[in-house]
Amino acid sequence: MDSFVNNFKKSTSTWEDQSLLDNFVNFDPVKEFSLPTFDIPSCLNPIEFLKAHTDENSTTECRIKLEHGTTTLSFKFQGGIIVAADSRASSGSYIASQTVKKIIEINPYLLGTMAGGAADCSFWERELGRRCRLYELRNKERISVAAASKLLANMVYAYKGMGLSMGTMVTGWDKTGPNLFYVDSDGTRLKGDLFSVGSGSTFAYGVLDSGFDYELSAPEAIELGRRSIYQATFRDAASGGSINVYHVKQDGWEFIGNYDVGDLHWEYQDQPKPSLIGDVPMFNIQS
Amino acid sequence: MNPVSLYDIDSLTISPVEAPVERQFYPYADNGGTSLAIAGADYCLVASDTRQSSGYSISSRYSPKAFKLTEKAVLATNGFFADGLALTKRLGQKLEWYKHAHDKEMSTRALAQMLSNTLYYKRFFPYYVFNLLGGIDEQGRGVVYSYDPVGSYEPEMYRAGGSAASLVQPFLDNQVGLKNQQGAQRTPLPLDTAIRIAKDAFTSATERDIYTGDYLEIFVIRQEGVTTERIDLKKD
Amino acid sequence: MSIMEYNGGSVVAMVGKNCVAIASDKRLGVQLMTVSTEFPKIFPATDKSFIGLPGLATDIQTLSERFRFKINMYKLGEEREIEPRTLAHMVSSTLYERRFGPYFVEPIIAGLDKHNQPFICGMDLIGCINFAKDFVVGGTSGESLFGICESLWEPDLEPEDLFEVISQSMLNAVDRDCLSGWGAIVHVITPEKVITRTLKARMD
Repeated sequence: MDSFVNNFKKSTSTWEDQSLLDNFVNFDPVKEFSLPTFDIPSCLNPIEFLKAHTDENSTTECRIKLEHGTTTLSFKFQGGIIVAADSRASSGSYIASQTVKKIIEINPYLLGTMAGGAADCSFWERELGRRCRLYELRNKERISVAAASKLLANMVYAYKGMGLSMGTMVTGWDKTGPNLFYVDSDGTRLKGDLFSVGSGSTFAYGVLDSGFDYELSAPEAIELGRRSIYQATFRDAASGGSINVYHVKQDGWEFIGNYDVGDLHWEYQDQPKPSLIGDVPMFNIQS
Repeated sequence: MNPVSLYDIDSLTISPVEAPVERQFYPYADNGGTSLAIAGADYCLVASDTRQSSGYSISSRYSPKAFKLTEKAVLATNGFFADGLALTKRLGQKLEWYKHAHDKEMSTRALAQMLSNTLYYKRFFPYYVFNLLGGIDEQGRGVVYSYDPVGSYEPEMYRAGGSAASLVQPFLDNQVGLKNQQGAQRTPLPLDTAIRIAKDAFTSATERDIYTGDYLEIFVIRQEGVTTERIDLKKD
Repeated sequence: MSIMEYNGGSVVAMVGKNCVAIASDKRLGVQLMTVSTEFPKIFPATDKSFIGLPGLATDIQTLSERFRFKINMYKLGEEREIEPRTLAHMVSSTLYERRFGPYFVEPIIAGLDKHNQPFICGMDLIGCINFAKDFVVGGTSGESLFGICESLWEPDLEPEDLFEVISQSMLNAVDRDCLSGWGAIVHVITPEKVITRTLKARMD
């Protein structure tokens, strides 16, 4: 008898009720937490299609200009990790913005940097933030920087060859101490002590390498990061705006400050130049 | 393929086309037009011209591309009009669903993030649209969000977008951002000044940009709601 | 990247009341790398006229020397200074000589004629002259300059006001262009004197 009733029970609820109910009751975590889905153009070769419209050297009439050009750096020292970046976004030679936040706060203890496609970096690092939170809820423990950076690397690796452009540094402090990883859209993932990414990175490396010492104090390290980015903004046309500096410490990151390069140049010009030979300190620290 | 060979009589008698003809999927066009948005202390202004062009021809002199999305946000779409329209419809639908699910209108901040995601979900087949979203936030302060076609966005105080963006933006930097003005007092920008600046910017842009002109539609978003004003621009 | 954008740089000229002004940025770059910040693109032609040459640096140097030579030869032959309008046609025909292998510059000429009437003009790279009554722009910030000049400029500006307008136009335009900036130089030409000032600008 029960089975007989059950056969007819379902039919009492209308189709609309059921589908509405599905939305709330039949919550499917697999679907909900899977990779987002993207629209793909229905043509023979979607990748070539996208390239024709977004590639730097494409001559298409309405080329979609993605924002490019950057200098970002980050390095480990005895007091943690310094992360610094400029804030310019350019499309072609036009400066689209001078106020981009290229250091992305993934969560209170993880930072990511932005180089390459601005949308690619911010979208995937936001997605990374969501996954790190899910990890926390599932495991009752914060995710390690190594695992977080690998999540990011694996996510973008799934889209390899489809035109994503992302060069990022993932930093944070976990059980093993301060950690720094370089992750890019080709699938590269490197653990390291010092990285600089972007069109101005060569200029930043020059200053960074000459002034770097693991035993630097926090104010010295901050100044080195700031100075390296400044020199890059001076020489690299696609970098500029202002410099954001973060310091990653044991109990999470700390925002150090935002420095307008327009003012910083004249500040530095008034200071004596560092000597090439001898034991004169590389930079003058103003704390 | 050499186009001359097509008209070669000899080759025509044998076969009209001796090489494969490549057809390309070309779903984009640039319809021009300019928009600008300025955020004030308790208002946000979104101004957009209404000319729609294709190549050197004007398709329409009055084809607005700025749309009221909620009582507190206006979206200006620049670039490919059809994509702008499709995007606006999609956002409108999402906002409607949100209203029914949560029994309230979506906040401008949430709308801004949703727009970013909507654009990024078409990362591999982008909407060819440069968006400006102007509105007021939960505290009633004006805010402007500017987007690239695939959803990179940033909150700003003022912004120009579209075909004359590079003409208008330096002027806004100077007059609204007070850039390169030494010792300028930074005071909140009154609405009438903002409207004057917007009109000036568009009359100037109309002079030098062929894709901008005809009419200027100015939306002013305040706590009380959205008001619209229409002004003539040059039609040449 | 276009050859006109290889080295970067911009020039603008404006008409005022019995005066003209011409300004340029000071950057010399190789694509995105800034090589020099002391490379003005304006060259004196006579006591009351200047030639601005935004474009490819090698052609700027070649042409500035060729024009210097031609202006000196004119002075020796005619026993008077060249008029700005004559100068413009001289520059134009020099460019058209290379119609099919052009110099990659967009010259801008500004000066006062023998009656102290303001004269400015711009040119494309093969010498098509644009006689403007208000302002002319050239270089990588051309669009930005057009926009802001159209908004800030008005007729009959006195020399000091003209200086302010051209300076603000230049500074705000190059601040939206990657390839121009790193300092600027302004010349205001009045019947009595030429006022030359160097502007402090953003260095990024």
